[in-house]
Amino acid sequence: MADRYEVHELMVCRIAMEMTEEGDYVTILGSFTPLAYSAYMLAKLTHAPDAWLVGYNAIGMPPVELSFTGSEAAAYRGSLARNSFTPNGHLVHLGTHGLLECVSSAQMDGDGSINLSVIGDYDKPKVRLPGGAGAPEVVQNYRKVVAYFSKHDSRTLCEKVDFATGRRTPISRDRRDAADLATGGPITIITPLAVLTKDDDDRPFKIESVHPGVSVDEVVANTGFALDVSTDVPTTAKPSDEQVALLRNKIDPFGTVRFDFLSGDERLTYLEDVLAQEWARAEAHLAL
Amino acid sequence: MNKVIALEELSSFVAPGDSLGIGGAWMASHPMAAVRQLMRDGIGDLHVIGSLSSIDVDQLIGAGLVRELTFSMVSLEAYGLAPHFRKAVQDGTLIINEISGVAINVGLDAGARNLPYLPMRDIGASQLPEVTPDAFAEITCPFTGERLLAIRAIVPDVAIIHVLRADAAGNCQVEGPMACDPELARAAGRVVVTCEEIVETEVIARNPATTHIPGFLVDAVIEAPFGAHPTTHIPRYGFDAWAVMEYADACADGLADTHIAQLASESEAAYRERVLSADKRAVLTTIARNPKTLETQGT
Repeated sequence: MADRYEVHELMVCRIAMEMTEEGDYVTILGSFTPLAYSAYMLAKLTHAPDAWLVGYNAIGMPPVELSFTGSEAAAYRGSLARNSFTPNGHLVHLGTHGLLECVSSAQMDGDGSINLSVIGDYDKPKVRLPGGAGAPEVVQNYRKVVAYFSKHDSRTLCEKVDFATGRRTPISRDRRDAADLATGGPITIITPLAVLTKDDDDRPFKIESVHPGVSVDEVVANTGFALDVSTDVPTTAKPSDEQVALLRNKIDPFGTVRFDFLSGDERLTYLEDVLAQEWARAEAHLAL
Repeated sequence: MNKVIALEELSSFVAPGDSLGIGGAWMASHPMAAVRQLMRDGIGDLHVIGSLSSIDVDQLIGAGLVRELTFSMVSLEAYGLAPHFRKAVQDGTLIINEISGVAINVGLDAGARNLPYLPMRDIGASQLPEVTPDAFAEITCPFTGERLLAIRAIVPDVAIIHVLRADAAGNCQVEGPMACDPELARAAGRVVVTCEEIVETEVIARNPATTHIPGFLVDAVIEAPFGAHPTTHIPRYGFDAWAVMEYADACADGLADTHIAQLASESEAAYRERVLSADKRAVLTTIARNPKTLETQGT
């Protein structure tokens, strides 16, 4: 086990576990979200080499090194088929082939509602957010819902979202089976503190595990909705040395993934630094 | 038939007050040269329709040209919330129709099929149908009795779409991300394409499998190299994150008006000259051509 790892690497490893290669299911990459991208690439390089990745509608894309400027190009290079959005949406987001597409929203609540639309009143918002893109379809129709957050606090994991851009319903396996909806796991929330899951419409989220060094009380105190707490909560697995090495040396040598954990000016400075490295690499390639 | 026009003639095809579908998605293939031309010409009072919008829509809103917006997302992604979109909605100066990401494509597909609506699977307990009731209706399948959503057809007056290459008749080839552009082209009343290069019809005929918009749908063809810049157009150039960051910074520093005024006051050739140095072009081209893929152990 890697003694020296960062919490985002642990999160990446936990998300990667959700990506499997059984069946005719695909994992979708949309907007460049480094944490989720890292997890998909890690799965491809370790336990799920044959899993289907679809990036920007490039089907069967290979695993790629992460970058801010080249992720579309990387998706298309070596992919096996292309689609426009519409057939892809019918097959995956509305059909029967969606496995995984992580969501990360401004707010999520104990019902599993995600808010990507507004903070405050919908018609007079305090903050207008980007909107959900395909997230409403994803959370309803994919086999799994995996949500990750770079902060675990009661403003983000809140009692009630200001607006439900998307919400999976029903959640319970038997009710989904009866409604002929895709099933494949609980709603899973992965944060810097813990992993939370919900698989029953009538029960709260429970703590699947707390990360090393985090107490159950800390998780409860920082969660805005009620949690089911069992007497014996396990600790999240640490990343292996191999996983950490793959993430740092192969998948994300520029460290794009840290970006999700920074805010404001820190984030800008960090972006400038990563972009300078991407520029330098392109120039080095030109000089060859 | 020769449909080639100059970028400066775009205003013959887009009128103030039109509903305007803008192609591209995420940070890819938005018809930015045409967006800049709309700003130069000040064609306003638009109802903009975008599948997954970004700096394209944000700049048009910033230029004061958008009355109404039908969208599923407007985002600068890593570079922050789209500042003009955010402000316009918060200030109540923009009419919005927020639709889920697949539903908006289904609506365009309905328009493309000359149907009043198309059905799709429901989207759970999303509140979007509550706030955008004109777009969604619950229906019952006449065959199985299942509850489905009907998505009202979206039929833009005009669409602008950026492609890799087109011939003078408007046959358009795309090799990278094509967003919902084929459906948008089929749905819209008029279609203007901008392209990286205009080619002879023989070039199109050599590889018809990459022709995703047939010429009979297209009304005008404009040659606009780097016409999606600063968004990416694969396989030609990568995403100019530096330029988008500059835009985001200008907006954050209260210099948005200056930034947009500059875009509106210079020609497209002057824009390329100013923003795309030889070094920048070389870097963006290299990024598009040499992405790093990783070997898996299993294959």
